[in-house]
Parts: sequence; structure tokens; C-alpha cells
Amino acid sequence: MSGTGSSTSRQRTVGSFSVEQPLWIAVSAFRVLTMLYAIGRYAEHEWHYTNQLGAWIYLGVLAAWTLGTVKVFWSKANCSRRWLAGDLALIVAGILLTRAFDGHAWVVGGDVTLPTIRAAGSVLGFAVYGGWLPAAFAGLVVGVANIVEATKLTSSNLHNIVLLLLAGVAIGFVVELARKSEETLARALEIQAATRERERLARDIHDGVLQVLTLVKRRGTELGGEAGEIAALAGEQEVALRALIAEGLGPVGPLGPSGSAAAQDPDAPQDLRALLAPLSGTRVSVAQPGTPVLLPARTAGELKAAVGAALDNVRQHVGERAQAWILVEDEPDAVIVSVRDDGPGVDPARLGQAEREGRLGVSQSIRGRLRDLGGTAEIFSAAGQGTEVELRVPRPVPGQRGRNQETL
Amino acid sequence: MTKEETGMKDEKAGAGAVPAPIRVMVVDDHPMWREAVARDLADAGFDVVATAGDAREAVQRGRAVQPGVVVLDLNLPDQPGVEVCRQLMAAEPAPRVLVLSASGEHGDVLEAVKSGATGYLVKSASREELLDAVRRTAHGDAVFTPGLAGLVLGEFRRLAAEPVPAGQAESNAPRLTERETEVLRLVAKGLPYKAIADRLVLSPRTVQNHVQNTLGKLQLHNRVELVRYAIEAGLDEEG
Repeated sequence: MSGTGSSTSRQRTVGSFSVEQPLWIAVSAFRVLTMLYAIGRYAEHEWHYTNQLGAWIYLGVLAAWTLGTVKVFWSKANCSRRWLAGDLALIVAGILLTRAFDGHAWVVGGDVTLPTIRAAGSVLGFAVYGGWLPAAFAGLVVGVANIVEATKLTSSNLHNIVLLLLAGVAIGFVVELARKSEETLARALEIQAATRERERLARDIHDGVLQVLTLVKRRGTELGGEAGEIAALAGEQEVALRALIAEGLGPVGPLGPSGSAAAQDPDAPQDLRALLAPLSGTRVSVAQPGTPVLLPARTAGELKAAVGAALDNVRQHVGERAQAWILVEDEPDAVIVSVRDDGPGVDPARLGQAEREGRLGVSQSIRGRLRDLGGTAEIFSAAGQGTEVELRVPRPVPGQRGRNQETL
Repeated sequence: MTKEETGMKDEKAGAGAVPAPIRVMVVDDHPMWREAVARDLADAGFDVVATAGDAREAVQRGRAVQPGVVVLDLNLPDQPGVEVCRQLMAAEPAPRVLVLSASGEHGDVLEAVKSGATGYLVKSASREELLDAVRRTAHGDAVFTPGLAGLVLGEFRRLAAEPVPAGQAESNAPRLTERETEVLRLVAKGLPYKAIADRLVLSPRTVQNHVQNTLGKLQLHNRVELVRYAIEAGLDEEG
């Protein structure tokens, strides 16, 4: 994973599914097989050669070279330009020597050269090594050598050269493509591994940060004073971070806490719990069922707004430091959200009076919201026991319950 | 809680003149937290007999030292804390498990409670709350947060809404009595037991019993379901 780009390290990284390696083996095998073919072909046509010893010496050198370099041409790691150039030079020499060793009539008649299709092995080596451009170059060199050997451009000669060029270029192109896909794949795998590692680290870090924040909150609260203020801050941050993580890791879609899908469709079911969770904090406790509480997004949104208004009411009437509890209940026919505070409470008689006089502004707005949803909002209070607002929203569709069950 | 279980508790609470210190094991993967909790408990006179940082350690040490109370974090590196709870509850005598976990692990908390944990406290609770919770857990009392009460209420509703299994005339899902529902709702709304008792004209002990009963029903149902599952899966034929 060093990413230095060196061919060896890359091959090791993606070694198990390398496309390139089999091609090198194929080139190596092709060189040996074509060398054997060249020897056999020569043995058959030896009778019309004028310098048979010279031909045999050349073929001996070619055989020794080809067999000696099997390991070199076995993988890209061992092969270099020098080896390729040497191979090409030997082939070109063989082609040109054919003119000297073979009977003149045969040379003019377009007889095959000494290395014959072993020349293709050299061109393929270039193709696999460097792609289509080096392959085209090697093919052209072999082609020119052929023309020089025959001293003219015959049609069969041209045919062979074109075939050689085509094969070299095509294979070179395929090799380039394979190499690129391999690189892309390797990069993708690296990114994937890095992402997984980052996620794991993030989880650990988040967990650690959350624990520390909670601990600061706990110890700070015990110490009181300025430490207490720091503790409160830590507590708030813990809740905020936890909500953020829950949102980030939560399912995406209509049930997702972000509600982006639900925002587009007011009737899409949305989990009320996800909407209310952010309200929880050091002064607000949220008690909810363990399974999604699904309501049409618009209803859920209105309900959340009503709960928010109720909390504002608590802060306004009881004070900033007031404690509040929210309870979400998922009944078959209705969803009930209760908001209770630990304030001094109000005498019910006074509550009714205040309401008649229209002095319960916020409460009125809560009632209004619930009425629009076809639900009710009730306010209970007793002196010394705080005030409780109970919001009840009927389930709009009978089928809703079935859908709810499916998600359990 | 059944009577038999309450009996077991009394022996541990030691009604005698000099009550033996409560033996506690603290399980938390965070060394800092583990030590802070253990120190708080030790300072308050509890006997912290073991601490553990992962599930394997927790089960091993739990079996070896047989603590009276296990303070258990559900977020452990190797196995879910719920699994630890389950395995510890299989021991004889089973410890009382108080789940001390970060908030926002609803499903896990419910599972832990169903498999035998009798208390749940969020980590943001104060030291006094923690000490009180461990004492109450050791004494056999259920320790509820408003959040847990909400979860338990929701779980009973979910069970009631489940379709009746084929071949049965009626659902065997546990149900809450009206009184129990009433009590749980008030707990979920953050009222202390004393205030609930005042409001419902009951003794605080009765309120505690009602809360306890709701847990007992869930745990019993959970065991029945496990046995039913084992029979259906043919696990009973192995022996």
C-alpha cells in the first residue's frame, strides 16, 4: 500500500487478481514455442539454404537466448528495455542473415525468414511491456527488416507486416487497459480500506469523547461552582454529539432522522422519536418506545412544534433551570406526547380562569395546532406537582397500524 | 419479581446488625470510567470485588467472584453487553445487574432488562444517584429511569399488538394492569416514587412493587419465549 508506483509493489498489492502476470507467462511460452517452430521449419527447408552451418549457428544462438531468457520474460519485474532491445536485435539479425544464408531464388521468391513467427514473440514482449506504442515501434522495425531482406515490398510481405503490427498494437492496447483497470481497482480497494479504518477510528474517538464529556459532567456537577458550569456545557455537548452520531449512522430514507425525504412528501411516514430526540438534554428527559412511532411527516412536524412550544412555556413560566420530562406513547389509535415540568404548578381553578381571560397565549397556540391535526391538548396541574400538557393525535388511517407493525 | 427471588435478595441484604458490604463488579470498556465508578463505590463503602473491560473477562470474573451486583456497561468491545447479562444470569446464584450505559442505546437496554437486568441508569447520572441505584439493586429493587419506563411501556404495547400465533386461541403476550400502566406512565414523566404514591394514594413500597412487577412480567415472557423457541427449533430433543 506504499503507493510508490513501483511495479513490484503494485503487483504484490493486486497480485491475486493481476491480469498482467498471465500475459507475461503467455509471452514467455510463445517465445519458446515459436523458437521451436522456427527450428523445425528450418530443418524442413534446410536443403535450399546455401550456408547451412551459419543458419544452424544462428538458430543455436536464438535457442540459447530464448531458453536463457525464459525467466526474464516471465514477469515484468525481471524484464527491462535492454532485454527487449536485445531480443529485437537478435530477431532483426536473423531476418537479415536469411538473405545471406538462403538460396537467392528463394529469398526473391519471398521465402519465410529464419526466425519466422518468432519475430512476433519479440513484438508481443514490447506490447506487454509498454503498451501499443512500443509494440508498433517493434513491429515497424521487424517490418523494415523484412523489406530490407526481400529488397522489395511484396504483397505477402506487406500482409505479414500488417498482421504483426495489428497483433502487437491490439495486445498492447489491451495490456494498457488491463493495467489501468488494475490500478483503478487497487485504488478503490485502498480507499475502501482507508474508509473502513477511518470509520472505526471515528467510532472509537466518538465513544471516547462521549465518555469524557459524560465524566466531566458528572465530576463537575459534584464540584459545583464554575466547574458546575463547565459540567453543564459538557453535558449539552455530549447530547448534541450523540444526536449527531445517531443521525449520521441512522438509516437513510423516510424513517431516517434527517427527514429530507419526508419533507418532500407530507404524508410519508416519519418516526416521531427521531424528531423529538434532539430535544433531550440535561434539563429535558425524553422517554419513548423502542420501536418507531410513525406518523405522517406533516403531523409529526406539527406535533414536534407543539412539544417545542410546551417546552418554551415551561422555560417561560418555571424558569431556565426547570426540569422537563417528555413521554411518547404509541397507542393503536393515537399517539400521545406528554410534557411535564417540575414547577410549582398552577391551581386548576386559576388555570381555567386564566384560560377564559385568554392569558394562556402559548397554551392556546398548542391547542390550536393539535385541533388542526384533529387531536386534543389537555393541561393538568396541581399545586406543588408541576404542570403537565398531554397532546393526543389520533392515527389518521386505520391501515397505519399494519404498516407500523411491519417495521417492528 | 417473584417471591422466591425476593427471598434470595433478603439474605444478601443482610438484615442483621452488621450488614456485610455489598459485593460489586464493575464492567466497562473505558478504563477511566471503570476506575471512576469503582472508586466512587469503594469510597462509599461498597466492596468492589472485580472489574472487567470486556465481555469475556466479565463473564469469567463474574462466575469466579460471584458479586452481588454487576454494574454493566452495554457497550463492550468483544460482545454485546446484553450477552454478558444473559450469561451472568445463568449462574447460580445469579447476580443483580444494574445497566449503567450511555443514553441512546434503547434496543440494547430493553434486551438487557428482558434478560434479567433489574436496573438502568444513564452515565450522566450523579454519583449519589449511582450509589443509591447500586444499593437499591442490591436490595432487589428495580431501578428505573423515565427513559426505561417509556421503553417498557412501549414494549408491552408492541407485544399486545403482535398477531396471535397460529394454533393459539389467544395471545399469551403479557399485559399490564391499569394500575401498573398508570404507575409506569408517571415514572416515565419523571415523578419520584413518593410523588406517585401521593398522587395515586398508595404507599411508596406499593409503587415500587408495581414497577417491579412490570419487569418481572417482561422477563418471564422472555424466558417463556426462549423455551418455546428452543422447542420449535428442536433443541429439546438433543438431551
